Amino acid sequence: MSHGIIITPGLAPRALNVPPVAAHDAGFPHLARRRAQLAIAATIVAFLGIAGQLTRLALLGQDRQTVSISAPLATGFARPDIVDRNGRLIAADVAMPSLYADPSIVINRDELVEKLARVLPDLDTAALRTSLADRSKRFVWIRRGLSPAVAEQVFHLGEPSLDFRYELRRSYPSGSRAGHLIGQVDIDNRGRSGLERHLDDKGLVEPVHGAAPSSRPPVRASLDIGVQHALEDELQAAMTRYRSQAASAVVLDAATGEVLAAASLPGVDPLNAGEFLDPARVDRLAGGSYELGSIMKAFTVAMAVDAGQAGLETRLDVSKPIEADGYTIKEKHAPDAPLTLAEILARSSNVGVGILALQAGAERQRAYFERFGLSQEITTEAGAVPAPRLPARRGDIETVTLSYGHGIAAAPLQVAAAMAALVNGGLRVSPTFLMRQPATTSSERILSPATSEAMRVMLRGVVTDPHGTGRKADVPGLDIGGKTGTAEMPKAGGYDKGKVIASFLAAFPMSAPRYVTLLSLFEPQGTDETKGEMTAYYNAAPATGRLISRIAPLLGVFPPRP
Amino acid sequence: MRTLMIAAVLTTLGAAYGLYATNLHTRRIEALVQAREAALAKAKADIATLKAERAHLARPARIAPYARALGLEPGRQAQFEVGASATSVQTAAAVPPADQRTP
Repeated sequence: MSHGIIITPGLAPRALNVPPVAAHDAGFPHLARRRAQLAIAATIVAFLGIAGQLTRLALLGQDRQTVSISAPLATGFARPDIVDRNGRLIAADVAMPSLYADPSIVINRDELVEKLARVLPDLDTAALRTSLADRSKRFVWIRRGLSPAVAEQVFHLGEPSLDFRYELRRSYPSGSRAGHLIGQVDIDNRGRSGLERHLDDKGLVEPVHGAAPSSRPPVRASLDIGVQHALEDELQAAMTRYRSQAASAVVLDAATGEVLAAASLPGVDPLNAGEFLDPARVDRLAGGSYELGSIMKAFTVAMAVDAGQAGLETRLDVSKPIEADGYTIKEKHAPDAPLTLAEILARSSNVGVGILALQAGAERQRAYFERFGLSQEITTEAGAVPAPRLPARRGDIETVTLSYGHGIAAAPLQVAAAMAALVNGGLRVSPTFLMRQPATTSSERILSPATSEAMRVMLRGVVTDPHGTGRKADVPGLDIGGKTGTAEMPKAGGYDKGKVIASFLAAFPMSAPRYVTLLSLFEPQGTDETKGEMTAYYNAAPATGRLISRIAPLLGVFPPRP
Repeated sequence: MRTLMIAAVLTTLGAAYGLYATNLHTRRIEALVQAREAALAKAKADIATLKAERAHLARPARIAPYARALGLEPGRQAQFEVGASATSVQTAAAVPPADQRTP
């Protein structure tokens, strides 16, 4: 291809059809020298370029390098914040250091373990020694989610085989407030119970590498942190005052079913998984079903009114005992004259509601319990609520005892939701722990507006009647109405007369009810203040009065102007 | 032909250099983007921590003792009774006596 470069001896130049070699002899050395020089120069320039780049890299260094440890270990989960209905933070992800070791570069295993045990006293040193013994490993978790202060102490140990990875960990600024409802997350930041689990189920939690917080908008709970604090404060005070073993309370929007505050004490700390397994800290509001006693009389009376059996002016003679399936039910303090329906409810007459139940019959009673949602399981965002427990047999005696709450056990949250329908005009309400946007009210009617109006009058009477069992709950101007309930707790083979659940189911203001509350005290003791009594009249009713007087201003409910 | 060859060699060299420069530039930009993303993530994490700290400091359980120390107690049942009476008293007091009224 190029002429004159290949010279083959014995081959005539002319035969190659190229210029004679002699013509090039003079210029060839010069040309070759120039080409060689050019090649050398190019090589020198190339090597100078490489040397320059190496010098630049040596002097300036490279940009920060990242080392991928292990994809599965690097994966965490980012969760959206949970805020209350006013935007105040309830739960958030924060980046926290997690400590790991590289066993392959551990110099002195025993010394390392001893040093770590001084900083982390609860460290399982035997397990750590075993983990660090395998020098083929490059990664061993030591402790995840350290506080910055502890991480600094570990850092100052100066151990080259120790390092930190920042991970997202759940933080609850309000501590154990509403712990049962909020639930908990596991070590990988995935929800295990409560609202936290709900976020996972709804696909709002995303896997991430590192500690990048979720970019999703916060989830708005229906809770009001201020009301929640007041409720837990008052509930704790009531537990102390009446020496009860446990207590639960809920504040519910009567129209939408939004739960503004809910607590079961002793509470649980979302960061302490062990507390969720403690039987003493079980969720008594939505995690178990309990007999709440005479509270159920409100539903029996509502059934009678709605079915046209009785009205506000109906009078029943409750002075005589009633018979059912061979059993006799009589009043503890029989009145001299027949009582109106309102008086039956106010005085919590077993015979009165028993008569109404027998008039209605078991079938109608069953149908109304279904309407009230007191015979089916319900589910909230915090999980399934145990189904109410009702007797399998429905003879006359069961019909009578069910009418005053004996033999029916339901979760207090479910009973509070049923109560909302009694006072909100007759519309079914489903309890929710998430804020409804926009605020939507139920359209499923289960009672007539007239029945609801009558119930408002009668429930208010429980608090205002001179013989009313709920009069200790009255707060001037707040127009509270409700129903007391004291139920003996079950034991093997019957009921324990020394242990009761005292409750007060209330709504306010009764002229146009906006909120429903249900406060229950588990195993309260008689005190000097209660004259040794354990009934709701002496404890749950006044505790509810104090609770409502505290939360009403927070909820914008004030006494009317004179 | 020679010119063409030289041009081709130079073009190849130039293209190689250009490719190298572009590659290097891309890596630098990539590193810059990573650094910015890391800074953004850190800023977001810091903001999340600060928000949590602020919420922790503003929690009602912490504020309540300070408020009580300032005499700001929660409402009590008795206060509602006093409040209703006080409103009546204030209303009466707001009306000046007959001899002080402007005709």
